[in-house]
Amino acid sequence: MSGYRFDRLKVLVVDDNAHMRKLVITILQAFGVTQIFEADGGEKAWGKLREINPDVLVLDWVMEGMSGIELVQKIRTDPQTPNPFVPVIMLTGHTHIDHVRLARDAGVNEFIAKPVAVKTIMSRLVSVIEHPRPFVRTSVYFGPCRRRRGADEYRGPERRAESKQQAAE
Amino acid sequence: MSRQQPIELFMPPNMLKAKVGGGLGGIDMAAMKRAEGALDNLKSEFSDWIADDVKVLMAARAAFAQSPDAASRGALMRAAHDIKGQAATFNFPLISRVAGSLSRLIGELPESQALSLGLVDAHVNAIQVIHRQGIQDTNDKMAQTLCAELDARVEETLKPKK
Repeated sequence: MSGYRFDRLKVLVVDDNAHMRKLVITILQAFGVTQIFEADGGEKAWGKLREINPDVLVLDWVMEGMSGIELVQKIRTDPQTPNPFVPVIMLTGHTHIDHVRLARDAGVNEFIAKPVAVKTIMSRLVSVIEHPRPFVRTSVYFGPCRRRRGADEYRGPERRAESKQQAAE
Repeated sequence: MSRQQPIELFMPPNMLKAKVGGGLGGIDMAAMKRAEGALDNLKSEFSDWIADDVKVLMAARAAFAQSPDAASRGALMRAAHDIKGQAATFNFPLISRVAGSLSRLIGELPESQALSLGLVDAHVNAIQVIHRQGIQDTNDKMAQTLCAELDARVEETLKPKK
């Protein structure tokens, strides 16, 4: 027993597929999360986010209109954001390492490649609670530190400016 | 070459931990069991869910066939990508594999290059057949042959032309 009061957690589930939302919500409810909100696209999620200020976001990547990645960038950098630090767990069919890097560079905290498994959702939830990453602000990035370990000791030059530039191109 | 730019590194207060408590940091096995049970209860709906996703794919295919532009190609890509992720979750791994092949084809083919409707149809038809026959076993010979054939055709299409 971990003793987490998941009932105190507000989670926003964003996916354009109703079945996928139902599946994720069913799992979260079984964990004990009672305050679950949903949105079927990036734009609606942005509105909900400002309305309810969730504690955690579970977010799909590929959606019509504003994608999950665009939404994360907006959450991290838009002056209207209710909470630039909100943990984002990205749930996606993308599995290639390049996509993981892209998600990380957009400011995603945790990444889940489908198929969805109960254990993975629980472990990512525990991870954002127990092991939050420090935040980094540079001229080209604001979001969770993209290094898992050793971030506290790093005092060197900014090394990802060029890769960010390449990703933007 | 690395550029010397200032970086600011800071740790925001852990509001989440303050809110949900805990402390042992372990996995709540009872909650996991409840969730596995809840997921089992949903499984009877999975075939219908996939049927809905296949309908979306077929509609996207029809729109692309009628007007093969960037918008319809994008919609087809999203439909294939959705099925790739969802079918595996909904216990149809072979449908996921075929949809993955289709989304790879559309995703990796340069936008300037025409997308073959024939190859799209081969994928869509394979997905329909696998779903109609309820094939969930990844060792199914017929489905494996179909997947290998589609993989080879996608590989061939994506191979740089000399």
